[in-house]
Amino acid sequence: MKILVCISCVPDTTSKITIDPSTSQISSQGLTFIVGPYDDYALSRAIELKESMGAEVVVLHVGGAESEALIRKCLALGADSAVRINGSPTSSSQIATAIVTYVQQNPMDLILMGKESIDYNSGIIHGLVAGALGYTHFNPVMHLDMAGESLQLEVEMDGGKMEVSCPLPAVLGCQEPIAEWKIPSMRGIMTARTKEIVVLPLECNNQVKLVKADIAETARKNKMIKAEDAEQLIDLLKTESNVL
Amino acid sequence: MKKVAIIAQTKEGQLTESTQQLIAFLSSYHPETIALVVSDGFKFNQVAASTAIQVIPLSDALWSDSASIQPLVAALDGFTVFGIKSIYVDNLLSLLAACSSKELISGIQQMTYANGQFTISKSIFSGKASLSLTTETAAYFSFNRNFDFSASPSFTEQSINKTATLNPSNGSKAAVIALKPITGSIPLPDAALVVGAGRGLKDPSNWAIVEDLAKALGAATACSKPVSDLNWRPHHEHVGQTGVKISPNLYIACGISGAIQHLAGVNGSRIIVVINNDPEAPFFKHADYGIVGDVNDILPRLTKKLQLH
Repeated sequence: MKILVCISCVPDTTSKITIDPSTSQISSQGLTFIVGPYDDYALSRAIELKESMGAEVVVLHVGGAESEALIRKCLALGADSAVRINGSPTSSSQIATAIVTYVQQNPMDLILMGKESIDYNSGIIHGLVAGALGYTHFNPVMHLDMAGESLQLEVEMDGGKMEVSCPLPAVLGCQEPIAEWKIPSMRGIMTARTKEIVVLPLECNNQVKLVKADIAETARKNKMIKAEDAEQLIDLLKTESNVL
Repeated sequence: MKKVAIIAQTKEGQLTESTQQLIAFLSSYHPETIALVVSDGFKFNQVAASTAIQVIPLSDALWSDSASIQPLVAALDGFTVFGIKSIYVDNLLSLLAACSSKELISGIQQMTYANGQFTISKSIFSGKASLSLTTETAAYFSFNRNFDFSASPSFTEQSINKTATLNPSNGSKAAVIALKPITGSIPLPDAALVVGAGRGLKDPSNWAIVEDLAKALGAATACSKPVSDLNWRPHHEHVGQTGVKISPNLYIACGISGAIQHLAGVNGSRIIVVINNDPEAPFFKHADYGIVGDVNDILPRLTKKLQLH
């Protein structure tokens, strides 16, 4: 069983997002990057599968050399090898095409990634990859178990959940509680130092033009109501804010 | 945009309000054809639009790979396809976009179309920022739920003309084992009013006051991540960075301090009320209305006031 886990490297969830005036794009100054939290769930489940039934786990990231420390962390968690497709992608389809091209040359049984990246929130790369490869697609997956030659999944759907039997090969978008996040062991950190990160070029063109980024500020009223007058809230919601 | 298709959402067989607004919004560009891709169980026979409506019914079977989706790919050849964000719509659009090798853009907050070019504002960082972009080649678009369609003019009622129901080609070996719909409560992502509660409630047995308030309002209930991690509340109620992202008209946060990860899931709310006994709770800075007080005292009083009217 060969499992590919695709990771995004994104600003930490507590980051304050600012714009770089010289480029009109999001500034990376002062940001701490992490492996996308949903991707971290996907990787954790892949490592669990490797430990319980044996599998080869490859981590793939599309991005620049600054992400290598985070890729190394994935190797320390137990991934066997890693691929970095070097470039600065600006659209979901560029990233999807890079993953598809890699998998066409290195076939996988299972491709896992987070249901979305927490920076661009598109949540479509798993579907784009599955569609292009002809693999089965489910998203967002909350439980994943092997059942003979296929997978048994619990998948969230609008207004509920479903349990499905999913043949391999498959591409799955993952979310909690598929696995518990893991912390690398000292031994994992040591062995990760000698594991290979293959670097490949990003070779697809982009057809979407980024114009500029803006910070969205929602102005709030910040009105305090005294605890003894709490009932006034209902009147304000009805008359001042018109939401009731 | 000569041929426009919409992945329509229905509730009890009728088009949802947001789907009707999307039809009106796209009608304002006067396409020659408007097609609605809709679940087979639809019950409407008229739609307000600028042109005759073609309905493409889809069976409720799984559309989970590129082989099964081929009948829909063929039916939508040459169309520009739109939908409003949901799990179903985004999964379907991403497979369709991949099968037709066209670009898909999701998370759209604003869109205009002129001279063959789409100008789009896309929400990023869970609504903390936005990205302006232009494209001439994208053919698939997914709008955010809180997309502002308010400027849409009204159009005349058009009768619909229906094609045969599309079924997935039998390529897929995926199969549903069990469906587990959430029953008896208002689905969180669609709710106009939401009452959320956090660890400030102290114990899962104290949730009655939250549920009573939600019931009096007709609101859905939500919770913070620590609460769902402790299994005090079901996972599907978890709102935040790694949970459900909501954009209701009103969000009332009870006993939630307002960690930045929680805010990422709720900052699309129109009005935010924060009730917390800690005056230093960071959530108050992001509130429209704040009450410093004990939830056990405040919530029952609000419920009582609502029940009196």
